[in-house]
Amino acid sequence: MNKFKRSRFLLISALAVLGCMVLAMSSGAKKGASEIPALASLPAPPIPADNVQTPEKVELGKLLFFDARLGGDVSISCGDCHSPSIGWQDGADICRGYPGTSHWRNCQTIINSAYFDKLFWGGASRSLEGQAKSAAKGGVAGNGEDDLMEERLRQIPDYVKRFKQVFGTERPEMMDAWRAIAAFERTLVQRDTPFDKYMNGDKTAMSKDAIKGMKLFKGKANCTQCHNGAMMTDQKYYNLGVPENIVFEEDALKQITFRYEQYAKGVSEEIYRKVKTDLGLYYRSKRMEDMGKFRTPMLRYLVYTPPYMHNGVFWSLEEVVDFYNDGGGEDQIAKGFDKGTKTNLLKPLNLTDEEKAQLVAFLESASGEEIILDIPALPQYGVDRGDGLKVETAK
Amino acid sequence: MKALTRMAGISALICSAFMWMAFSSSADEDVPAAIGPLPELEAPNPDQVELGKHLFFDVRLSGDGSISCASCHQPENNWTDGKDLSLAYPGSKYFRNTQSIMNMAYKRYFYWDGRLSGKDPATQVRDKITETHFMNLDGRIMQERLKQIPEYVKMFQKAFGGESSFGKTLNAIAAFEKSQISKNAPFDTGKLSKQAKKGMKLFKGKAGCIKCHNGPMFSDFKAHKTGVADHPDLMTDPERASTFRSVMKFLGIPNYENLRSDPGFFTVSKLDKDFGSFVTPSLREVAGTAPYMHNGTFETLEDVIDFYAKGGGKNAELKPLKLSKKNRAALVAFLESLSGDEIDFEAPVIPDYQVIENWLETKN
Repeated sequence: MNKFKRSRFLLISALAVLGCMVLAMSSGAKKGASEIPALASLPAPPIPADNVQTPEKVELGKLLFFDARLGGDVSISCGDCHSPSIGWQDGADICRGYPGTSHWRNCQTIINSAYFDKLFWGGASRSLEGQAKSAAKGGVAGNGEDDLMEERLRQIPDYVKRFKQVFGTERPEMMDAWRAIAAFERTLVQRDTPFDKYMNGDKTAMSKDAIKGMKLFKGKANCTQCHNGAMMTDQKYYNLGVPENIVFEEDALKQITFRYEQYAKGVSEEIYRKVKTDLGLYYRSKRMEDMGKFRTPMLRYLVYTPPYMHNGVFWSLEEVVDFYNDGGGEDQIAKGFDKGTKTNLLKPLNLTDEEKAQLVAFLESASGEEIILDIPALPQYGVDRGDGLKVETAK
Repeated sequence: MKALTRMAGISALICSAFMWMAFSSSADEDVPAAIGPLPELEAPNPDQVELGKHLFFDVRLSGDGSISCASCHQPENNWTDGKDLSLAYPGSKYFRNTQSIMNMAYKRYFYWDGRLSGKDPATQVRDKITETHFMNLDGRIMQERLKQIPEYVKMFQKAFGGESSFGKTLNAIAAFEKSQISKNAPFDTGKLSKQAKKGMKLFKGKAGCIKCHNGPMFSDFKAHKTGVADHPDLMTDPERASTFRSVMKFLGIPNYENLRSDPGFFTVSKLDKDFGSFVTPSLREVAGTAPYMHNGTFETLEDVIDFYAKGGGKNAELKPLKLSKKNRAALVAFLESLSGDEIDFEAPVIPDYQVIENWLETKN
C-alpha cells in the first residue's frame, strides 16, 4: 500500500472531520422540538461502498477479531476488551488496556457500533476500519505494529487463503484485516429489542412502566435533546459535569496513562502540567470551547454494558438517572480553566422515584436478548520449507 | 512512535552515509591495525551510570513490562543470553545472536549487519526500546512511567539536573553500557601461557585471523562473507520467520516477502556483493560468549576454528588453512587469553511505582 496515498487520505479525512465539526459546533445549543429527530426503530446498518459485506469477509473478520496476533505481545485480541460475554466491552470502569499499562477511558460495546459516524468517546475515528487499526496499534490498547502484524498474518496458511478469496491479494494486507474486522462488527447489531418491536407497531412489546418512561424521556426529562433518533444519540459532544473517577487518584498505572495521553495528544506544556480531567473533544479540535466534551453515547444494549459514562463512574442506570435528575454535575473544566464548558441543556428535573424507575424501565426496553458468540478456533501458523506454507502437525 | 520511526529513518540514512565513507576508503586494507590493549576512555558520569544500571534492569522499559535489556544481556552470561538466536519481545523471536554489551564503548558499528553507528550508542538503546520486535515501548509511555517512580525522579535530577526525558533515558543506559569494559585479560597484562603465545603467532601469521580481527577490539568493523549457513529456524519457526520478514521490510529489502536467507550487511549497503556478509565481531571476552557467529550456529571456539580451517562456507572470502590439531588448540588458548576478570555484578534493586498522593493538586 502506498504510504503517501494513505497519509494524503488521512489528511483529507482529517480535514473533512474538522469541517463536520465546525458545522456541528456552529449550530447553536438551543433546539426547537421540531429539530429533534424522533425516536425510531433501528434500520439496517449503513454499509460503506468501499467495504461491502460478504459472508466470507465477515467470517474472516470474526477470526481476526479474536486473534491476539493482531497486537503487540500476542496476549490480547479485540475480543479481550470487547468481550462477547461482558456486553462486548470489558465491564471495568476504565478499560484494562495493554499489559503493563492501563487504558484511561471506559470501553464501549461493539454492538450497534456500525451506526456511529465517529468512534471513540472523543470521536477520534471516522470509521470502524479506522477504529480497529487505532485500537490495535495504540500503546495502551493493542500496541501492535503494522508490518509485524501483517507478517504474522502472512505466516498463517488459512488466513493467506481467506484473504485471497475475500480480497484477491496474493498475501494478507493489513488494511484488509481492518476491513474484515469492520465487516464482522457491522453484523453485531440488535434491531429486535422491545423498544424496536413497540416502535414497529407491537404495542404489547414494552411494559407499561417503559411506555411511561418513554413519555418522560421525550417530555419532562427531556433526554431526547441529545438522545434522539433510532440510536438515541445525536452523536454530538457535550460536557455534562461527569464527576472524576477516583481510580485516577489511587492507581499509578492510570496516572501514567493520563499524563501519556496529554503528551501523545499534543496539548501545550502548560496544559500538560496542570490538567487533571479528560479534555475529550479538545484533543481533536484544540478549541477551548470543546474541553471536557464527549460524544453522546447510544442508549441501546445498556443492560449489558455497565458501568456508564466516558470514565465508567456510574455503575447502574439508576445512578445515571439520578445524575441527570440533579442537572448533571460540577463542571470539571471550570475548576482548572478560565471558562467552563458545561452544557446549559441540563437542568434539575424533579423526577419522582416512580418516574425515575419508569425511565430506567424504558432504557432497559432498548436492550434485547444478550448477543453471545462462541469464540472461534483460530488458524495456526504454518512453516514454509521451500515448498509452500503449511501447518505442520506436532511431532 | 511515528515521529520516532521517522527519526530512526533519518538516523539510518546518516549512518548509511557514514558507513559508505568508511567502507569506501580502502587505503589501509592490506595493513591490519595492530592488536593491543584497549585505549583509555573518558569515564562516563557515575550518576548517569548508576541510573542507567537501574534502567537496564527495569522491565518497565518494555511495552508490556515483561522484559528488560538484561533479559537478553545477562551479567551471569557475560552480558549475552547464551542462546544461538535471541529471544525478542513476546510474540516475536529474533533471528540473530545476542551480542555482549562488554566493551561496546569501542565499537564502531552496532549489530551484526552494522546498521547503527558506534558513535551514537543512545540510538542503539532507542532502537532496542522502541522497535516492535525488541521491547516495543512507546517512548512517551516510557517517559511517563519513569516519572511515576520517585527514586528515578531523584536520580534523573542528580544525573542530568532536570526531570526525566526520552533522550536522558537513552543516554543514561548508554552511559551504563559504556562503563562495562573488560579488565586484566592475560593478553593485556602480558601473562600469556606458552600455548597462547603460540596461538597469537598463528593468529597474526599463518591463520591470518588478524586480517579482519585486528585493532584493540580484534575487529576491523567491516563486513565480510564467511559463508556461515543460515540457521534452520530462520524459516521454520513461524515467529522467527515473521519477525525476520517484518524487519527486512522495515529495512527496505526488495522482495523481502520471498527472502529465505539473512542478507546481513546488504541491509545497509544494498549492494548485491554484500548479501550475506556480516560485521567482524570483537574477540574480546569471546570464550564466555558462546554460541558463535551472527546466528549462533557454532557452539564452541573449536567449531569456529574448524570452520575457518576449511575456508569457511559457501561463497566465503576465505581460503582453507592447514592447521594441525595442536595449532588449533593454540589458537583457542590465545582466544581464551582475551577474557578479562569474571563479571562480578549484582543486579540493582528496582524501585516500584508509587501512586502520586494529592493527584488532583500535584503538577504533572
